[in-house]
Amino acid sequence: MIRNGSDSAVPRRLQWQTAEVSGLIDETPRVRSLVLTLPDWPGHKPGQHVDIRLTGEDGYRAQRSYSIASAPESENVMLTVERIEDGEVSPYLSIDVRKGDKFELRGPIGGHFVWTSALQGPLFLIAGGSGVAPLMAMLRHRAAAKNKAPATLLYSSRAFEDIIYRTELERLAAMGDGLKIVHTLTRQQPAGWAGGARRIDRAMLESEGFPPAARPRIFICGPTRLVESASQIMLDLGHEANLIKTERFGPTGG
Amino acid sequence: MQPHTNDAPLDGNAAGGLLSELFAFDVTTASVICEGCETQGEVAQARVYGGTMGALLRCAHCDTVMIRLVHTPHGFWLDMRGARSFFVKPPAE
Ligand SMILES: Cc1cc2nc3c(=O)[nH]c(=O)nc-3n(C[C@H](O)[C@H](O)[C@H](O)COP(=O)(O)OP(=O)(O)OC[C@H]3O[C@@H](n4cnc5c(N)ncnc54)[C@H](O)[C@@H]3O)c2cc1C
Ligand SMILES: [Zn+2]
Repeated sequence: MIRNGSDSAVPRRLQWQTAEVSGLIDETPRVRSLVLTLPDWPGHKPGQHVDIRLTGEDGYRAQRSYSIASAPESENVMLTVERIEDGEVSPYLSIDVRKGDKFELRGPIGGHFVWTSALQGPLFLIAGGSGVAPLMAMLRHRAAAKNKAPATLLYSSRAFEDIIYRTELERLAAMGDGLKIVHTLTRQQPAGWAGGARRIDRAMLESEGFPPAARPRIFICGPTRLVESASQIMLDLGHEANLIKTERFGPTGG
Repeated sequence: MQPHTNDAPLDGNAAGGLLSELFAFDVTTASVICEGCETQGEVAQARVYGGTMGALLRCAHCDTVMIRLVHTPHGFWLDMRGARSFFVKPPAE
């Protein structure tokens, strides 16, 4: 397959296409990953998203964005969706959806919130809840590309059982390739928990991250409030604005 | 892009899909100079306020509406009064 997609010199117009759900993975009690089969996928870069459009029998349409969680090296495109109570779209994608279901999708979208292994320097990823999805695409890509530059994921979840990709993250951290993973649990911690036990704050960002002089590339993703506070703190700590990239998911998540 | 109205803005990046309906290149990575405060930044760094019928992109520094995109049943209205100029790089090889 020719993978030219977003790198193509001739811009490729985004078209709606029909995605088919070919696999489902239960990640946590509220989060599910969807493996998709797409008729026309040009490849993507870690950090990009897709738009999904659902059309009801009455013709009513709802459209939402979801990050791509899989690495470009992976065979399939995977999304990870957290259930928002009273949500219009996420309860379908995270609970009701079945293998073989079809919906409209366009993508990959966005060239800004993107990291590839070709970029130099340390990588500092900051996630809240399902905001870990596009950062996971970066970490999966980093492992596939055998990148050994120092990288840290600081990841906030509500409780231990809400940690998305927990065992895969453990495996990635155990590879000894310079990746460090730091969890913080904001609502409930298991007995003997050694990780963080509060929201991501200035002290945590300062001690777990890299110093500004190391010029880390910083990606922050998750609920709007977390993204805003973490990006402001990183600026206050002296990191350059153009090295800080943000993706707000909206008021959702942990 | 979220089609419903949210009080909290998203990043300009989120409007990539919607903007691709009008532009042949990825506008979100173009730089734009704000008419209000003359700050230059990537469109992806603007704040997006989405509604069912389109999107508002506001400057992250001074809140000036740089791009207003309205989807009607018959087509699009695009108002870019708040964006002084765009700089578009050819896509990287
Ligand atoms: C670029 C981008 C990438 C995204 N990637 C992902 C992803 O990978 N995984 C993922 O799970 N989500 C992701 N999101 C969020 C996703 O697009 C939806 O916003 C989310 O799934 C909620 O949609 P919904 O239709 O279920 O809820 P809605 O029907 O939109 O809202 C549900 C209820 O919550 C309130 N509300 C409205 N908006 C929100 C909100 N955003 N959060 C909390 N409450 C809200 C409303 O008042 C309403 O009562 C992403 C968003 C963006 C912009
Ligand atoms: Zn401005």
